[in-house]
Amino acid sequence: MMSVVLRESLAAWWPETILGAGALAVFVLAGWPRGSRAALAAAWAAVLLSAAALSAAPVPSPTEIFYGLIVCDPFSLVFRWLALGTIALTLLLVMGSQEIAASVRGEALGLLLCIGLGMMLMAEANHLLTAYLAMELVSLSSYVLVGFVSDARSAEASLKYLLFGALSSGIMLFGMSLLFGLTGCLGFFELRQAAGALPASASGALLMALVLMLAGLAYKVSMVPFHQWTPDVYEGAPVPVTALLSVGPKAAGLALFLRLIEALRPAWPELAPVLLALTVVTMTLGNLVALVQTNVKRLLAYSTIGQVGYLLIGLSVNSAMGREALLLYLVAYLFMNLGLFACVVAVVRDTGSESVEAFRGLAQRAPGLALMCTAFLLSLAGVPPLLGFFGKFLLFGSAVAAGQIWLAIAAVINSAIALYYYVNLIRWMYLVPPSVARPLRITPALGAALAVCALATVGLGLFPGPLLQWLDGRAIVNLL
Amino acid sequence: MLTLLLLIPLGGMVVILLLPKTAVRAIRMVALGATGAAMVLALELLAGFEPAGALQFEEHLAWIPQLRIAYHIGIDGLNLPMVVLTGLLGFLACVASFSITERHKEYFALYLLLEVGMLGTFLALDLFLFYVFWEVVLVPMYFLIGIWGGGRREYSAFKFFVYTLAGSLFMLLGILALYFKTHTFDLVALSGLAPAFAPPLQRLLFVAFFLGFAIKVPIFPFHTWLPDAHVDAPTPISVLLAGVLLKMGGYGFFRIAYPLFPAGAAWFAGAMAVLGTINIVYGAFVALAQTDFKRLVAYSSVSHMGFVLLGLASFNAEGLNGAMLQMFNHGIITGGMFLLVGVLYDRTHTRQLGDFGGLGAVVPVYAGLLMFFSLASLGLPGLSGFVGEFLSLLGGFATWRWHTVVAVLGVVMAAAYMLMVIQKVLLGPLNEKWRSLPDVNARELFSLAPLVIFVLALGIFPLLLLQVQDPALQRLLAHILR
Repeated sequence: MMSVVLRESLAAWWPETILGAGALAVFVLAGWPRGSRAALAAAWAAVLLSAAALSAAPVPSPTEIFYGLIVCDPFSLVFRWLALGTIALTLLLVMGSQEIAASVRGEALGLLLCIGLGMMLMAEANHLLTAYLAMELVSLSSYVLVGFVSDARSAEASLKYLLFGALSSGIMLFGMSLLFGLTGCLGFFELRQAAGALPASASGALLMALVLMLAGLAYKVSMVPFHQWTPDVYEGAPVPVTALLSVGPKAAGLALFLRLIEALRPAWPELAPVLLALTVVTMTLGNLVALVQTNVKRLLAYSTIGQVGYLLIGLSVNSAMGREALLLYLVAYLFMNLGLFACVVAVVRDTGSESVEAFRGLAQRAPGLALMCTAFLLSLAGVPPLLGFFGKFLLFGSAVAAGQIWLAIAAVINSAIALYYYVNLIRWMYLVPPSVARPLRITPALGAALAVCALATVGLGLFPGPLLQWLDGRAIVNLL
Repeated sequence: MLTLLLLIPLGGMVVILLLPKTAVRAIRMVALGATGAAMVLALELLAGFEPAGALQFEEHLAWIPQLRIAYHIGIDGLNLPMVVLTGLLGFLACVASFSITERHKEYFALYLLLEVGMLGTFLALDLFLFYVFWEVVLVPMYFLIGIWGGGRREYSAFKFFVYTLAGSLFMLLGILALYFKTHTFDLVALSGLAPAFAPPLQRLLFVAFFLGFAIKVPIFPFHTWLPDAHVDAPTPISVLLAGVLLKMGGYGFFRIAYPLFPAGAAWFAGAMAVLGTINIVYGAFVALAQTDFKRLVAYSSVSHMGFVLLGLASFNAEGLNGAMLQMFNHGIITGGMFLLVGVLYDRTHTRQLGDFGGLGAVVPVYAGLLMFFSLASLGLPGLSGFVGEFLSLLGGFATWRWHTVVAVLGVVMAAAYMLMVIQKVLLGPLNEKWRSLPDVNARELFSLAPLVIFVLALGIFPLLLLQVQDPALQRLLAHILR
């Protein structure tokens, strides 16, 4: 009996198994002298094999595996792809950047794969224990990766990330223990039933537990008021790692967020107004503070907070359409944000500066790069016909459909504010003459990353039909 | 056929992007060919158009079927004049663009993209498509002002971008609300469905779209981006800004706000009349106070667009016809004025009216053209500007008597500031600096002559355009008064 369960579980879990094994192999290879090339090859092999396994796996009807610890359903499938996509693009960025020294690059790749595994697990978690383990896997690997540049700023960022992270996972653990004390169970499905059966007198305690747990997740997705670490960590980390942090954990965190909310549905009426308020505050704060940033990584950190605010709309409206919009915007965000970071990698590599001024005259030094960078920026700002616009269109639409007109108006005003800092970068690239005339060359790896992101941002923006069709039905599925 | 109209400039853009940036001649020829072909096609549409019929040359393709978004374009009496205007000014401003001296490849690629956006906005019959084209216009415009402009070009370009985007985001909310009520983006279907909404909802939606259009027109107090953008843009782009982009806002009322929300429009008509009057009088007064030639023309646009609003507020056939005609006329007249400002600026590098004087004797051809367009702009009977303004005032008088009485003041003021221009530039003692100023050259004449013909033709025989637009406007009126 037991072996049957295990065999079925493993059959549905090949992508993760491969990725995990790949991470271990990469660690081993990296230990050898001059093993970083082999490690890179192994990392790519793991990612590609994992992707092959994922595409070969039958589209699952929700199946609980490993005794209900993990659930493979259509919803998590989207996030598994998102995680793999993030990792693959980050690998390209790591190859295109020189910030991570060759001597330690192998270890960085291994940690990267660990994060990928953790992100997939976060989206599949069906049990508080799995959820916690997955989050810690992502967090611990990230702490180390942030400190991979040997300078004081990077070390400071790493330490700051670790301290904030430890605090918030402590809070989260506390919330989980409260929940366990209230209900006596940890599985999401059981939790929902137990929470529904709780007497009214316990509703305060339930809300407390939920809020504490969500605090941990809010930290992961940089939701106000748990966002303070974001700019410092983004600034200190190597650019490819910043790129990864700005997309991957946000997506995985939101997936877990959705599932937890679903599991603790009885507490939703009390939670909804809080979440709504925090959504508006998150986007407003991110966009307003981004206006005054001069370091491009800090700028993108605040832009990320603003973007997370938009994403949270899909969560707060709590409808199938909101979820679908959230998924689509995550896909859009993956491509446009990582594409933008690829541009940053190219610029930082050439100029050695992270100031927005490093972008001056880019249109004349590298016309193609500047054009793609403009596309990513305009997509983030929500200008049609790019994919970011379509995502926003759906997100704002879900707010309007849910009758949350004020939320939609707040989001619209935020979009107008955000235009300022996105266009400001475009201004540096096109309207300001370069200080050095030398053309800026990009490496093939970066070129590949840029091309993939630009194609997706423009192509899927013009024809979002197939993407919508793919997401359709994955969003409305029951999450438990 | 209509798709071809969009594909020609788009294809031209792609070709230009593929050309090396040193091939300036080839780039110019491609741009000229593309805009020229678009103009010819637009005129062919005019020739093949059946005024009595409803939508023609329609094309319908599913685009994003999940949301029932379609690529739906077509021509009727409402947008045909605008398409012709865009084709015409697009070509003439392209001729004028030969004076651009740097970064030719980028300039003409963006220019053609701008033309695609403008044509698409007028052709679209699907709200989503309309919005996409509407926004596509912003991006090339930002670069065209920001890179090739003068003065505080970065500031002006940015202000233009933010103002228009902020306005159109409210329109986006309106579009979304409309969709969730009706589950369609199709304007033809919507014009049947939306008028059945409860009046409060119609008012709300009307206001959402109004914000988007008002900034574009621009309606006081949303007009402050206009003088900056018009003044700092390079000459050909000023022509398109004043000639075509402002019309996008006015056209929005005809195509979307009025037919979809008649109750909202009726409720807002009083405010519209007041705003129109303010535009006319305020714009004229501010124009009178300008010392910069280009800024004066820019403010005169604010004043002239006020007549469009007054005509819209009138809710009768004369007013609507006047508003529509005024949009077309303002496009060709103010387009011509901006070209003339550019001609002078290219030679003297100043736009201060006080720096000129007595040029009438030095550059006679220029003087003749300037007088012609100034008189057209102040509404001299026999030239096209008069007809549009007269019809708008006529329509306005029937519905908003006292507003119209005040608005007539604007016509008087227009005479004042336009005659002031003629006096300061052409008459008086000659500034010795300009004794050897060369007259209008062949290329400049080529870009101005067609406009002269249109102004004359429409002034003498306005039925040319009225017969195209009147049946559609009558239908619109019947639809909103039902």
